[in-house]
Amino acid sequence: RIAKERWLSWNAGTPWMGNDVLERNLVLVERMGLTRGLPPEVISTMLDYAMSLRMGGAPCVRVLKFLIPATVVPQEAIVRAVAWLCVGKIAISTQVLFLKWVLTFFDMIDSKDHLRSIYGFIFNFVTEEHLCPYICHLLYLLTRKECVRPFRVRKLLDLQAKLGRQPFLLHLLSLYKVFCPELVTTALPSKLRVSGGFKNHVTPWKGVLNAIQKRNTGQVTSDIRLTIGVKDGSNSRKRKCNHLQLPSLNSAVQRNLSSTNSRKVFPLEQLHSFPELLDNLHRIELPSQMGSLLGSSLALCYLDYVQDDSAFLRLNFWLGHALHEEFLFCSREGGSGCSSETLHFLNRLISTQNFLQEGFFSTESFLYKFLNVWDGSLLRPQILGLLSHIPVVPSSCIHQLLFEPLMQLFFSSTLFFKCSVIECLNDMLLKWLTWHSVYSVEDGLDISLNSHTPMNMTLSGFMDSVMELVLFVGRLATVGLQLEGCSSLLLSFVLDFYETVCDMFLKFELPLVVMPPVGVFYPALFATDPVSVDRLCFIMCRYKQNLTAAKFQQQEHVFHISSQTYREFNRYQLLMVSTLWNSRLFQPGMAVEVDHNLLALSKVPEPSASFTLIRHPAFVGYALDFHLKVPFQSIHAIMLLPQANFCQWFDNFFLFCS
Amino acid sequence: MAERSSTMKTPLNKALAQRRSKRRYSRRSCGEGTYLGYTSGRQTVLKIPTSRKKPKSRDITNQVDPDQVALLVKKEWHLSYVTPLYQFRYTMLKTYSKELSAFLVSEKQQGQTIETGQELCFKVNISVVLGLAETNQDAETIYIQILSKQVFAAKDEAQKVVWSGLLTCINGDVDYLRSLPPEFVSLPLLCTSGPESLSALVKSWLKKTFDCCFGPICITSTNLQWLAALWTGCHPTKNIQYLKLAWTIPTQPPMDVTYKVNPQDVWKLWDSARLDDGAEDSINIEEVNSFIRGLQTHFFRHFRLDLSAGSLMRVSTALGSAHHSGKIKITSPDYMTTVLQLLTECALLKMPI
Repeated sequence: RIAKERWLSWNAGTPWMGNDVLERNLVLVERMGLTRGLPPEVISTMLDYAMSLRMGGAPCVRVLKFLIPATVVPQEAIVRAVAWLCVGKIAISTQVLFLKWVLTFFDMIDSKDHLRSIYGFIFNFVTEEHLCPYICHLLYLLTRKECVRPFRVRKLLDLQAKLGRQPFLLHLLSLYKVFCPELVTTALPSKLRVSGGFKNHVTPWKGVLNAIQKRNTGQVTSDIRLTIGVKDGSNSRKRKCNHLQLPSLNSAVQRNLSSTNSRKVFPLEQLHSFPELLDNLHRIELPSQMGSLLGSSLALCYLDYVQDDSAFLRLNFWLGHALHEEFLFCSREGGSGCSSETLHFLNRLISTQNFLQEGFFSTESFLYKFLNVWDGSLLRPQILGLLSHIPVVPSSCIHQLLFEPLMQLFFSSTLFFKCSVIECLNDMLLKWLTWHSVYSVEDGLDISLNSHTPMNMTLSGFMDSVMELVLFVGRLATVGLQLEGCSSLLLSFVLDFYETVCDMFLKFELPLVVMPPVGVFYPALFATDPVSVDRLCFIMCRYKQNLTAAKFQQQEHVFHISSQTYREFNRYQLLMVSTLWNSRLFQPGMAVEVDHNLLALSKVPEPSASFTLIRHPAFVGYALDFHLKVPFQSIHAIMLLPQANFCQWFDNFFLFCS
Repeated sequence: MAERSSTMKTPLNKALAQRRSKRRYSRRSCGEGTYLGYTSGRQTVLKIPTSRKKPKSRDITNQVDPDQVALLVKKEWHLSYVTPLYQFRYTMLKTYSKELSAFLVSEKQQGQTIETGQELCFKVNISVVLGLAETNQDAETIYIQILSKQVFAAKDEAQKVVWSGLLTCINGDVDYLRSLPPEFVSLPLLCTSGPESLSALVKSWLKKTFDCCFGPICITSTNLQWLAALWTGCHPTKNIQYLKLAWTIPTQPPMDVTYKVNPQDVWKLWDSARLDDGAEDSINIEEVNSFIRGLQTHFFRHFRLDLSAGSLMRVSTALGSAHHSGKIKITSPDYMTTVLQLLTECALLKMPI
């Protein structure tokens, strides 16, 4: 990079021979060109230097050989190079090489209008014998109807008389004839092989170009750009998974319908900024292929606003088709590999759904089918990311659609998969709760979420689904913790989930309180890391606040929290306090009762006090720290303090720990 | 708590509530109204029929123009499924023809190789084949023909048909078709005959103009067995001349077995497979299964090779032939609608939503 900058600012008036600096820079740029391709500015500068022969003839050839563009070739460079060609100082073989270069990279030239405007200049080279085939090929690619002129036709016919009926001349003439049949009156053979007409030139760049393109397309970023990029046609390599390519943004074909309104429509592809969107909001026209909107946040803003049913349906058809073809109907051997394109596509889809804060229903139906055949490891983050966007599923089918396949995948999977699933279900719950709290504000409690469907999702239906989800996660967590030996990583994800659950009443206005199962509570209480114990205490605090608020509001509103829930909470609370504070863990009357003979066998002194805050295995680290830092004498002094100051000592201890 | 109070402060006017409910309608009912809403897993199972009506021989030339029928038979069609077409108007077929021919010419100029390899000029004919549709919900069939003429040929030289295509929907699932909004025309089955490059070009034009998507159809072995049974059942009214079935056995190297049966014998077997208490004019999947099992056990008795270990690849009779990779040939117009109905079902099963 730095060498290129130096090169760009370097005045190449210095002589070629023995110029080490030039040599070094040349080597650097050469390496860059052959591995990754050169950016457009470098291309134009290098082409200029080469064709101007400032360094002499030999470097010109060398430069042309490694002048491989990474993305596009600016057309000004070509125009300038043709200008240098007109000067006439360049050797014929180098000219031929240059023309071959132009033909090889013709597709990558960003726009051809300037080249068309110098059509006449290019045409003049047709008389050069050695350049004639390549010039004809180039003209063939550039010709438009206005370029066909009688004098040009005459010139070509003269050439034909001189050189014979060469295929490249015949091709150019036949193209002229297609455009203007009246100007070309000679009989042309009706059989002209298209592909064989222009010789396949031996291009030294093809192999390197393919390698570079392959490397470069793997690095496309997946975030949504603000502007709508019109897909350039340069990347025309055939891809195996064509269906994942976003269609290019084209405006809808103008139809002469008698009912067209007279106002000017603003095609979506011309939109480049948000203020422009706001200005033209009332007259934007949707593109002909809805799939092209997927990558652009501007277009999605507009789509969200306009709420057009058929537009969404079109987008969903395209999206559903792409997902089905790629993952469900694929017949490739080795499965639908996680190539960079699929990854990129899915990431884009997830960011779109995040942006819209809602999932597409084609994604939803695809996921239900895909979960049954998924192996749990293919594109796991993406699939779970998509899963968390599923809208509320009615409790009648949530088991069959969602829980069954997840259960099957869960129990035989790795620890990381288990954690990811719990996190995904936590996200899903958060999204459901947020959605509910936003949409049910106006209508009071008993809302009918969608009265047009046969399945009326009332508030109670919604609560059923949420309850099912929470209970399901509780079951998953219980068994998962047992299988993984109460791993603290899994425990932290589970406690994340319950942090969401405990605040459902106060934060999300949902009159539902669900206690964690014992399979989660006990491992957290007796965990060996302090974070879990601390979080459990926090969760229990929140539960208490939610339950007190619920009890207070219960008299005024219709909902009802069962006394079963209160009893459970009280039991947990009692157990927690007796464990952590009162040193009454295994006493009769507590939830956990163990025979004292059994306890004596464990040879632990004072078993009932073995899990208090001071002696809890999770807090051993803090205790050790305390003993290391506070000198023994001061502890002794504190112990001699009267009882009233014992609390102060405890306070000091807690302050020390936090 | 914060979000609750902020949303309370926004004006709770009717318009806002109205807009919100409309929003819910457009997002949800699209999903609900179309075929695979929440019950997607269940619906797919329900869609696969377990019994079909017995095909009646109908002189289809009563309903459809005989010239058009002649265009459809005796060609080998490649099958694809199509998602519904947006804003396809039957009144604008001439405009569509012109647009498609202009598109083909421009694509050719941009250097797309067309296998015919000659400087050609294309003319496109898009027409409606009336009479094939069975129910009220079926859209009318569309027939696309691409004719070619060499550019420098004499004026009176005949135009040759280089490619033809058929977009059709015969007896499609009524609920599904009814659930689509009116701007969409569902013609889920595309049959193409001609060079692959032209098919690709036509498909890309359709994609650009009507925002639809294409994908291949594989005729499953179950459907091939249905076809075998249906065609055999037609033997009394129209002589099928033979029933040929081809299996691929997964041995090393893979073995192909072609099994040709005399029509009389196969008709007797089919008749015996028909259940006594079955309805007269409908065929059950169990009958089809027992029919195929009968054929397989007979083969096993003679050659000691169990054909059920392989997969059925091809079925052919004098009425037509079908291949697993999605190729079909209809040689007799009599039972055409039955075959097309089965293929429409296959196509609809592949719809993503």
